[in-house]
Amino acid sequence: MEGKVRIGFYALTSCYGCQLQLAMMDEILQLLPHAEIVCWFMLERDSYEDEPVDIAFIEGSVSTEEEVELVKKIRENAKIVVAVGSCAVHGGVQSWEKDKSLEELWKTVYGDGKVKFEPKMAEPVENYIKVDYRIYGCPPEKKDFLYALGTFLVGSWPEDIDYPVCVECRLKGHPCILIEKGEPCLGPITRAGCDARCPGFGVACIGCRGAIGYDVAWFDSLARTFKEKGISKEEILQRMKMFNAHNPKLEEMVEKIFQGVEE
Amino acid sequence: MKNLYLPITVDHIARVEGKGGVEIVVGDDGVKEVRLNIIEGPRFFEAITVGKKLDEALAVYPRICSFCSAAHKLTAVEAAEKAIGFTPREEIQALREVLYIGDMIESHALHLYLLVLPDYLGYSNPLKMVNEYKKEIGIALDLKNLGSWMMDELGARAIHQENVVLGGFGKLPDKATLETMKKRLSEALPKAEYTFELFSKLEQYEEVEGPIIHVAVKPRGDVYGIYGDYIKVSDGFEFPVEDYKKHIVEKVVEHSFAKHSFYNGEKPFMVGALPRLVNNAETLYGRARELYESHKDLLRPTNPFANNLAQALELVYFIERGIDLIDEALAKWPIAPRDRVEVKDGFGVSTTEAPRGIVTYALEVKDGRVAYADIITPTAYNFAMMEVHVRMMAEKHYNDDPERLKYLTEMVVRAYDPCISCSVHVARL
Repeated sequence: MEGKVRIGFYALTSCYGCQLQLAMMDEILQLLPHAEIVCWFMLERDSYEDEPVDIAFIEGSVSTEEEVELVKKIRENAKIVVAVGSCAVHGGVQSWEKDKSLEELWKTVYGDGKVKFEPKMAEPVENYIKVDYRIYGCPPEKKDFLYALGTFLVGSWPEDIDYPVCVECRLKGHPCILIEKGEPCLGPITRAGCDARCPGFGVACIGCRGAIGYDVAWFDSLARTFKEKGISKEEILQRMKMFNAHNPKLEEMVEKIFQGVEE
Repeated sequence: MKNLYLPITVDHIARVEGKGGVEIVVGDDGVKEVRLNIIEGPRFFEAITVGKKLDEALAVYPRICSFCSAAHKLTAVEAAEKAIGFTPREEIQALREVLYIGDMIESHALHLYLLVLPDYLGYSNPLKMVNEYKKEIGIALDLKNLGSWMMDELGARAIHQENVVLGGFGKLPDKATLETMKKRLSEALPKAEYTFELFSKLEQYEEVEGPIIHVAVKPRGDVYGIYGDYIKVSDGFEFPVEDYKKHIVEKVVEHSFAKHSFYNGEKPFMVGALPRLVNNAETLYGRARELYESHKDLLRPTNPFANNLAQALELVYFIERGIDLIDEALAKWPIAPRDRVEVKDGFGVSTTEAPRGIVTYALEVKDGRVAYADIITPTAYNFAMMEVHVRMMAEKHYNDDPERLKYLTEMVVRAYDPCISCSVHVARL
């Protein structure tokens, strides 16, 4: 890209963790001479949501009617749109109960209280606009940002990872949490890139980077393994849905394993 | 009565966490209305975690807010452990507090240098300060890096720490890492003192002076810190954390996805570093105690801007406290990372001191699942008081240039260090 790259960082509904991760990278200072920050409310008071940019990074899930309008506006103004983090890419943990109605969730939390804005059920950005690239994670690793920013700045295109956390876990030599400890680790279906961070600490993967793409997420075979360990269909679905609630294959593939089985 | 001016609005307050705006309506006899509009969407955390397995719910709660994810994790875990009748060993408790201190150091450094300081130095963005304020930005990055490294080592990650589990930790750092942590904390102490010096010279804005009700946790063991079993109010009243609903009422307000909290029915109150100091200064020790005694005139209980300086003082304090807690843990070395826990039915409440004030988790556990969840975050506690102070500022300056008024009211909001995302998901009525 020639001259200074115009960058916008936009937030929908989220914990702001992806932006925080980016803001906490010392390397951001090296990037500055090559970039102009057009919009980044978390750090920049002079931020403009409706100006043209080369790269738009969007964090958060679409959770209000206002945010639907905002993502459309960002798409119109941006050459490249990058969905950043689990909320923007997969709808985030706030999609965990996507099958319940908005009214039901609203009533549980707000009772009869009314607010003048229009809430929606959380959705990935891609449900509304075309997304050109995704940075996965909750939050993404710093190297995910460096890789994406670096490739964009040299005019290239970052590649998706198409292998699971298990691969990194084996390379690191961690004991297998699923086989050796019998815990419901989601490493086998989760997109790698975290260096098997949680299994390295002896904690089962909760799948925060989302299922591997290219339809190779083996929800069914992992569901079979979980089933053999005595985990119920409901529990398997709940665990896999934490970061994958909008995945169109998930229920169908888990269902396959439980066909004809009485719960 | 007619309005003389169009409403003065900031749609999206910059340099805070989350999306909120300020709206000020001025009539011909002064300020009519002041609203903090919270426009971030709802996330229904209490509703989506009910019925879920306890450990999975505990993995989701920190995702309420990245700036205080350790605070959310540790408070939720304490509430869950109280519910199932488990008390962690002292050394595990000490190391959890060290992790919490990592969050405190990172969050305070980030808030003070990157979110607050640019206003005082005339920058719209902290990254633009790099050339002129090399030393300050260097200190900000060093302190921030120290805090996030502590969270990496003890929490597995600086944001959303999966390494904290029921019964302890997944894994603990080795002894040498904890020794290094002590060394890095000692090296950071002069930087924290420099921060305190720097912030003691900044303008305090007398426009917003007035009585404030301060609410903080009464620290366990009478040593200034993060955990406690009682809530202490600056009017002298104390109550067990379990009784929070008797004394604090939450209300839905029309202009915000976040609710507002009131003490004893109607009174707005403040939580945060300043309330902690106001209520608990006698439990400080070390260099922080000395700085407190010599700067009492600046740490005024009546001015929300003093919250910035109070955070700077806490940087000094928590660095020293972190060293002492690591020593406590090392004295019991080697430490088993976790104990077996049996997930029994029960109900537990935990209130701890997140960087920006008290956060409350009430969890009921039944058959290994969350049966009830109620969460109140610091910013939700603070909103009503924040609106009072924004109004005070607006009343003094509504005749000024609108840009100046916007700038001043944004500064009031920033002094509270609000985490708007975390306030938007709120509690069951």
